[in-house]
Amino acid sequence: MGKIPPALRTAISSNTLLKTPAPTQALKSPHQFLYKNENPSKKSAAANKSEKKTPAPAVIFKSPELSEAIKIFNSLVTATMQTPRDRTFHNSLLQSYASISTVDDSISLLNHMVKANPSFNPDRSTYHILLAQSCQAPDNSLSSISKTLSLMTTNGYPPNQGTTDIAVRSLCSVNRLDDAIELVKGLSLNSSPPDIFTYNFLVKCLCKCRSLTTVYNFVDQMRASFGIKPNLVTYTILIDNVCNTKNLREAMRLVSALSDSGFKPDCFVYNTIMKGYCNLSRGVEVIGVYNKMKEEGVEPDLVTYNTLIFGLSKCGRVGEAKKFLKVMVEAGFLPDAVTYTSLMNGMCREGDALGALALLEEMEGKGCSPNSCTYNTLLYGLCKSRLMEKGIELYRAMKEGGVKLETAAYATLVRALCRHGKVAEAYEVFDYAVESKSLTDVAAYTTLESTLKWLKKAKEQGHAV
Amino acid sequence: MLPQGVKKTVIDNPKKLANLIDLVNLPSTLREFVGQSRISRLGCFMRVWSYIKTNNLQDPNNKNVVNCDQKLRSILMGKSRVELAELPALIKLHFPKDPK
Repeated sequence: MGKIPPALRTAISSNTLLKTPAPTQALKSPHQFLYKNENPSKKSAAANKSEKKTPAPAVIFKSPELSEAIKIFNSLVTATMQTPRDRTFHNSLLQSYASISTVDDSISLLNHMVKANPSFNPDRSTYHILLAQSCQAPDNSLSSISKTLSLMTTNGYPPNQGTTDIAVRSLCSVNRLDDAIELVKGLSLNSSPPDIFTYNFLVKCLCKCRSLTTVYNFVDQMRASFGIKPNLVTYTILIDNVCNTKNLREAMRLVSALSDSGFKPDCFVYNTIMKGYCNLSRGVEVIGVYNKMKEEGVEPDLVTYNTLIFGLSKCGRVGEAKKFLKVMVEAGFLPDAVTYTSLMNGMCREGDALGALALLEEMEGKGCSPNSCTYNTLLYGLCKSRLMEKGIELYRAMKEGGVKLETAAYATLVRALCRHGKVAEAYEVFDYAVESKSLTDVAAYTTLESTLKWLKKAKEQGHAV
Repeated sequence: MLPQGVKKTVIDNPKKLANLIDLVNLPSTLREFVGQSRISRLGCFMRVWSYIKTNNLQDPNNKNVVNCDQKLRSILMGKSRVELAELPALIKLHFPKDPK
């Protein structure tokens, strides 16, 4: 899934309007104001109320009470004579108040601000603060949103695409997807249809928590009613979604649909499909996708190779996976921890844990540092291959480096230790798992307990353990 | 080998999980040892195991065996030597299943 966001991310960063509703950023600016003014105002404003606020500027508005807020605002205005009382100043105050108040109170505060300082002209960004607040308000109706929108319109700022985007993202952030759909349709009628980034964002959210039918209905309606067509990113999101539910047939249908709409599958699309086949452990198709890419002249990237090596290792075709490691190096890609870990996983599956251990040295020699997944894969493999001494050695190294244990590796290690009569050491591993917070106490204990139970049973029945 | 699913089933099974983490009113012997009147089976195990560690009760020649002191003996059925491997089972004896 890491393949789609870049497009969306650029959309976010290029849209400066979006920055206003981000609470952290908006909260920061008032702090700067207060800090800046701490020194100049210290002598003159000793008796000033706002002086009390300066020690804890994190919270400017402590109570959602409107009268309190107005008082604080007034005192801030008198205390900060030196700073330009510009729009940013007012916006950040409004934003800060909006995070605790009701929509109506925020609107009242805005009205008060305008009255108190006629030079302050609320603009689109100011109203977007109110809009974001009304989208996130706890009442589950669209009425407060439409109220804010009409307020915007009467003040000369009819909703535009930025407005739609903020509304959709705010609604999705509080899981009001149906309202978001409703709103998008309403806004599209009012001549501010979502742009492709907003649209894709909404499709992605829908994919996550709604049925495929709902998603398709939405896509169809947007196309039929407002002429908003899915683009390649939309198709990639949809394909990724069906691949994650292992519905490869639907994925194939989508691929042909995207070709019919005049798009050419790019690297991301192929990677997504390849991942889908990996999840189903269908090695032949994984290679098939790779060959198709080559045929179509789409250059594989690092993700392609990693997926390929992961998939082949998973299907037990380690030999081919190793071959592709060479291919990728020749193509100029540096294998990373994911590449090596996938390969080690495959080797361990084949029972070649020692080979995997050798690969660890090789990767470290090439300056690629292993991550916790690498260690856990190896530990699991070593214990499974009954190479307990090596396993313990690796465990000690992991413990020293503070590497967390994963469930499977932990369970296998504990079992191997118990099998060799090293119960005390198994307890020690248990302690480490709990201390390092690798696992919950319950998970760690349950494994230990059931392993000991199994050990007892096996001994009673005279099995070789 | 232990089937892969075992530990999962316990965590996924709400009854078994409750059996492990629900607070239970303790009998007097145990109450004296842990110093509180209610504890979960998991909490009790952790308490006993850390008691063993802090008092160095593991046999220096065979770490898998615990030489019980007076206090520990009182809750582990009066045994003077206990295998670490049977510790969970011994503690479980204090936590009988709810008759239902």
